[in-house]
Amino acid sequence: MRGLGSRDNKFALAVATAVAVAALGLAACGGDTVGGGNSDEVSTAEGGKAAGSLTISNWPGYIDPGKEGTVAEFEKETGVKVDYIEDINSNDGFFGKLQPQLEQGESGGRSIFVVADYMAKQMYDLGYLQEIDHADLPTVFKTLSPSLESPGFDPERKFSVPWQGGMTGIWVDTSKAPEIRSVNDLFDPKYKGKVTRLDELRETPARVMLAEGVDPAQASAEQWLDAIDKLGDAASSGQIRRFTGNEYTEDLTAGNLVAAIGWSGDASLIENENAEWRMPTEGCTRWSENMVIPVGAPNTAAALAWMDFVYRPEVAADITEYVEYISPVQGVKGLLEKRGSELAKSEIVFPTEEFTRNCTGQITPPELERVNEAWQDVLTG
Amino acid sequence: MSLKQRLVPYWLLGPGLLWLVVFFVVPMYFMGELALRSGSLTTGYTFDWAWSNFPDSLSGHTEQIVRSFFYAGAATLLALLIAYPLAYAIAFRAGRFKLLLLFAVIAPFFTTYLIRTIAWKTILSDSSPVVSVLQTLSLIPPDGRVLATSGAVIAGLTYNFLPFMVLPLYANLERLDLRLVEAAKDLYSSSRQAFLRVTLPLTMPGIVAGVLLTFIPAFGDYINAQILGGTQQAMVGNVIQSLYLNQRNYPEAAALSFLMMALILAVVTVYIRFAGTGAFMGDEDEETA
Repeated sequence: MRGLGSRDNKFALAVATAVAVAALGLAACGGDTVGGGNSDEVSTAEGGKAAGSLTISNWPGYIDPGKEGTVAEFEKETGVKVDYIEDINSNDGFFGKLQPQLEQGESGGRSIFVVADYMAKQMYDLGYLQEIDHADLPTVFKTLSPSLESPGFDPERKFSVPWQGGMTGIWVDTSKAPEIRSVNDLFDPKYKGKVTRLDELRETPARVMLAEGVDPAQASAEQWLDAIDKLGDAASSGQIRRFTGNEYTEDLTAGNLVAAIGWSGDASLIENENAEWRMPTEGCTRWSENMVIPVGAPNTAAALAWMDFVYRPEVAADITEYVEYISPVQGVKGLLEKRGSELAKSEIVFPTEEFTRNCTGQITPPELERVNEAWQDVLTG
Repeated sequence: MSLKQRLVPYWLLGPGLLWLVVFFVVPMYFMGELALRSGSLTTGYTFDWAWSNFPDSLSGHTEQIVRSFFYAGAATLLALLIAYPLAYAIAFRAGRFKLLLLFAVIAPFFTTYLIRTIAWKTILSDSSPVVSVLQTLSLIPPDGRVLATSGAVIAGLTYNFLPFMVLPLYANLERLDLRLVEAAKDLYSSSRQAFLRVTLPLTMPGIVAGVLLTFIPAFGDYINAQILGGTQQAMVGNVIQSLYLNQRNYPEAAALSFLMMALILAVVTVYIRFAGTGAFMGDEDEETA
């Protein structure tokens, strides 16, 4: 600034001040809101003949994306070009990333998301989803398992179609700690720094409460906060190594852990033959994830065709063989038996009522904002 | 001078100013405006001069802010200690390998940041050779680990930002007039003295630029803490990410981002004053006068 005299400096300052004042003035008149959901009427996804291209967002390890896999089969049959992206690592994280776009009525080019029950409901309530006409999905409503026809969050299946279900329990590296059977065991100091937990609010504190004999469905906000405190202490003492999404599978593969809280069907993501999913003695979380069609989704006809396609029992059986989660489609077990697959006998893929008797659903805590803030503080310790 | 004449410099600044307005002032404006809103996702966020977002965004997060300073500071110092000899060797000792070595410094950029950081996860995993060597050398306890510790995060930051330190240092050292060092030696200074009194002061601009280019992005980084850190390594970037994506408290996230920017600006201003404005501005004559 040596070349400029003090007069010019003053002039520059004046310009800067003018710009700042104008900006704040604009801010004051701008009063439009950010967030608050779409107030427009809910639209229904348009059906028709599938063509063109389709973008699907899903979690990792949830389908065989290979040349012989389900995606390729769909492409071959319909001529639709599918862009299948595995960019969902946590419900909240995915929602947070997409929310500003959804608010503008855009889906970032995606026509299908796969999200948990509570997230599907949250998106629907904010006006971020399109409704689905059952007439466009004949196969789905013929083969959908009766127990999933009328869930609490969407009793008429107006905006969600189940993708897969699963259970949250404990992945144990049996070569290192075969004795771990309960979530309580993960607090044992001898496993310090060798256990991970999930970063989802509806999973981790609820598992701790269940292990202590508190029913998460009946728990008060204070009980949630107590469980969060206990986890916070375990995090700051170094007992818990990390809070993770799907990344726990990498740590198990690398042999960094004795145990991780994780999802029942993730065997395809874990390259460690000693890793075994166990039902905690106190019970598990049963959940299901749903295909939904967001607002602004391009090519909904292809999206509906995809939904109907994956509900053909033969296709559903292929998916089950690959992902090892709980299929929402009837008849898969029989098909796998016919194919001579070991999975047909697996309690993890086809859980009996006896096996899951102590399990609960994913529960949203009371006083969500306060509890979530405490939980996020633990995560960013 | 007529008004028209006085305006000429501003016209000349025009393109630069336009760039600044579009890519800096406008985003800042929207973020500032967001920082003064209040509400929730379901009700929507309304603009109501909610200044309380600023103190609120700091409460409970001082630990992560202090930690970010420490991590970024340690990474910058380490990067400087590694980069200076490296840049010196490339500039004066590499001979015909100069370009090849420079290319090697930049080569990691051909892979994305994320992939490179994830690769370190494998390299540093608990049963990796690196960790067993460190255990054998008793640099970490026998059952100790590297991954999910502060050490891993600082190492990740150092690694990822090292080229930003090497390049300005190299550019500066390359231009160094070796005759000045020779002259110092002719006047009976030892190699050490010549380095401390001639080379180092003349490369201050490179050091200042390298430190700024390393410290500022390292301070705001959240990838290294997320991938290489554990439960107690979150930096301020991770807090902002959590506020934005997980708590969807957009106003507080924007307020915290603003405060961090102001803080960095203050620190950088003090630093430049301390490191010598003249050297930073390239006024070497002022420095030697």
